Amino acid sequence: MRAWLATLGVVAQIAFRNLFASRLKTIIVGGIIFFGGLLVVAGNSLLDSVVASMSRSVIGSVAGHIQVYNAKSKDTLEVMGRMMMGDPDLSQLDDFAKVRASLLKVENVKSVVPMGISGALVTSGNTIDLALEKLRNAVNARRDAKTDGERAQAELQVASEKGHVRQIVSVLQGDLKNAKAVLDERTIDPADGAAVNRAASDAFWQDFDKEPFEALEFLENRIASQAADADLLFLNYIGTDFQAFQKSFDRMKIVEGTMVPAGKRGFLFAKHVYEEQLKLKAARRLDQIKEGTENEGETIATDPDLKRMVRENVSQVREILLQLDAAKTVDFRAKLQRELASQETDVGKLLAAFFQTDDHNFRGRHDFFYKELAPSLELYRVRIGDVLTIKAFTRSGYVQSVNVPVYGTFEFQGLEKSTLAGALNLMDMVSFRELYGFMSGEKLAEIQALQKAAGAHDVSRENAEAELFGSKATDAPAAKAPRRIEATTTPGVAPVMHDLGESLGGKLQREEARSRVFPSDEVERGVVLNAAVILKNPKKIKETIVAIEAQGKQDGLTLKAIDWQAAAGLIGQFVNVIRIVLYVAILIIFLIALVIINNALVMATLERVKEIGTLRAIGAQRRFILAMLVVESIVVGFIFGGLGAGLGVLLVTVVGKIGIPAKSDVWFFFFSGPRLYPFIGTSNIVAAFAIVLLVSAFSSFYPAWIAMRVTPRQAMQEEE
Amino acid sequence: MKAIVSVREAVKNYILGNVVVPALRGVTLDVVEGDFLAIAGPSGSGKTTLLNLIGCVDTPTSGTVEVAGKDTRQLSERELTDLRLHTIGFIFQSFNLVSVLTVFQNIELPLLLQRKLNGPERAQRVAALLERVGLREYGAHRPSELSGGQRQRVAIARALVTRPQLVLADEPTANLDSVTGAHILDLMRELNRTEKTTFIFSTHDQSVMAHANAVVRLADGKLVDRVTPAQAAAETGLPA
Repeated sequence: MRAWLATLGVVAQIAFRNLFASRLKTIIVGGIIFFGGLLVVAGNSLLDSVVASMSRSVIGSVAGHIQVYNAKSKDTLEVMGRMMMGDPDLSQLDDFAKVRASLLKVENVKSVVPMGISGALVTSGNTIDLALEKLRNAVNARRDAKTDGERAQAELQVASEKGHVRQIVSVLQGDLKNAKAVLDERTIDPADGAAVNRAASDAFWQDFDKEPFEALEFLENRIASQAADADLLFLNYIGTDFQAFQKSFDRMKIVEGTMVPAGKRGFLFAKHVYEEQLKLKAARRLDQIKEGTENEGETIATDPDLKRMVRENVSQVREILLQLDAAKTVDFRAKLQRELASQETDVGKLLAAFFQTDDHNFRGRHDFFYKELAPSLELYRVRIGDVLTIKAFTRSGYVQSVNVPVYGTFEFQGLEKSTLAGALNLMDMVSFRELYGFMSGEKLAEIQALQKAAGAHDVSRENAEAELFGSKATDAPAAKAPRRIEATTTPGVAPVMHDLGESLGGKLQREEARSRVFPSDEVERGVVLNAAVILKNPKKIKETIVAIEAQGKQDGLTLKAIDWQAAAGLIGQFVNVIRIVLYVAILIIFLIALVIINNALVMATLERVKEIGTLRAIGAQRRFILAMLVVESIVVGFIFGGLGAGLGVLLVTVVGKIGIPAKSDVWFFFFSGPRLYPFIGTSNIVAAFAIVLLVSAFSSFYPAWIAMRVTPRQAMQEEE
Repeated sequence: MKAIVSVREAVKNYILGNVVVPALRGVTLDVVEGDFLAIAGPSGSGKTTLLNLIGCVDTPTSGTVEVAGKDTRQLSERELTDLRLHTIGFIFQSFNLVSVLTVFQNIELPLLLQRKLNGPERAQRVAALLERVGLREYGAHRPSELSGGQRQRVAIARALVTRPQLVLADEPTANLDSVTGAHILDLMRELNRTEKTTFIFSTHDQSVMAHANAVVRLADGKLVDRVTPAQAAAETGLPA
């Protein structure tokens, strides 16, 4: 045994000395292996860290550890990254309570959150609508004023609102002129032009107070429709049980407003959506420029994106101008003149000059905007407390609309900047079901009431003929007085605080939307599309998926369970794609390594034919020669692979301390926060060594074969 | 005296492409223990082939070669290797030391392959041999730091370290100057006398043959005769 060890010792010694003797070869071969080891350890660790943090993002924001949906669905469930591709065709889960009961029987399941994911178009407020509404309110107030004081105050209000509307109309007039310059004259309805010109005329405003309601009607019908700043918003939302959601996804926190109370209809905007889509564009751009210059180290002078934003702010002051009534116009003019030390009187030009920022004056302008100008502006198109009218196409194709009050905004801790995690807004389950075309208890009761009123009743298929043509004489429903069923829908958003002048029906509907409390039973027992499952032990996802599907079968439910990565759809696959790329890179590197190492070893072996022949002649068995070469390769593999892996560990550890900053919002999601702190997986080090040794062993096969065929006779041959 | 090597009608053909090249055409030879035998002949006469057969590096195409009582044609590759390791020592024309090992390690190498002795025993034996070949101070040197004569002495020490019954030397002095070559032969001769080791060496050098007990002359793959060194020296102009 000791002699055997001594032989191994001599083998190792010869190997070491050979490696040292042919340093260049060793360094080249070793260098490749070093790089390979580094890549395996660092690359895999980095990727594992991204997967781990991304899983936290996905699991912590919507998916949970496992998503459950109906196995009969035509499409697979994707809770994230669906973007604009429409809803997947999912079959519903009829009774959430039953599903949850079944899921909770599975041992590892901690909690279950009901869900349904969909999207809808929402028209947000139109500035002129709001202005006209205010004017109407002021006119009403003047009419209803009881004291002189009240009347005087209302008169002032009317004058101010009139100024605002006039301002808007003059902006519209300007737009029309511009449109004529760039568009074919014929595409513009001359009636529209005439209406705007009339509304802009002094005569119109002088006569306004004579017949204010007539004038208002003209403005509402002929002018408001021409102001095209009511952008369509596409909102993705999850219908859910707010309380269960907040409890299960504990990274969720309310930023503005409050949580939707249990049993109420309500909508929570994702903070990111709220900022990105609903904020006044000029203000949003200021935020982004600030973010870019202060947090990302860019400058307006060099970064084309920031430059573009400055340019857009300069050219798009209209959005702000439309919000300015007479008083605000005066106020803005004074403030801007002072700030800019300018004699200019046109507020539009003053604003344009104000937004013409550079790296030097940006911070000051930004702060001035928020301190002096913003308090007079509506910064968001939808305010907390507003009622949002959401219209969506139901599964069966008709349009359904639901009014939901906006309670606030929320975000997920660490994912504040991620577009992906911040793309989904939250809605109560009952409203969701309605929009999706399911009957809520509320709707069902309404329909039953209507049916009762209309005398309609369910007819089974077998009895249909008898019912239609049957002999039984009934009071013909047609004989009753014709009914007009009015649907009151509110286009766009109408703020509740200012809806004094609205139709009673709409008002009631909104009032009801805010106040109606539905029993928790209704949330529980109804239809859902999917459910997020939070596990007690997140490591046992695979086992739990099997258990859930088995339990579902036992309970007569057709449940399909998928892990968070599958539920994350494209995003989940993104990591797989990176991993494949990394593996291909590693594979290529090691294939190249294999070829180069093999080549180098073959050359080295051929150079050493005589030495090998001598060893064979003096009594070395073939296996000794084999061992010698393999040990050489493995020593190189171990030392250089080890160094590479070591550097990888060091690198990942150091980077793990500092963290990799997320450069864009996408990376916020993948990093589950502003920085990724990569960690070393032991399995990666083991894998690195395994791969390195495998490559070393493989690459020495051919040279070893050559070496083993060297005969002792070759020791005798003399090269002349 | 007992024959350590017994060659009977040994024929060795090499195949080069489609051509059969006869290297030995039926050689019969006995070498007794303690012999100090020179195999002489011009190049191509089959000296090295004969040495290869005796050295168990090759086996005859026909005929038999027995070394230490074993018929080499009956042995497997592995057994031949073992026979070389335990019974035969080799000295090569160009020394064939392992360049990356020290002198000491080169000499120790066959002992490591044998796996019979432990470290101190090996060290003792190597030290004794270094002393014997006059290289006591050179144990830690690399072969490249030595002169040709010193290298060949290291090779001799390596060949003798396992105390083989037989040492084969293929043109051991061909790469040395005559004085050094003479010293090497003196050393071999002395070891032959003191250690009773049988030496067979090939040469085409008259002065080298002079050291031998007997000279076996080869020509065209055939044994011409077996003479004394004096006879060999007397007959100038050997058959080509």
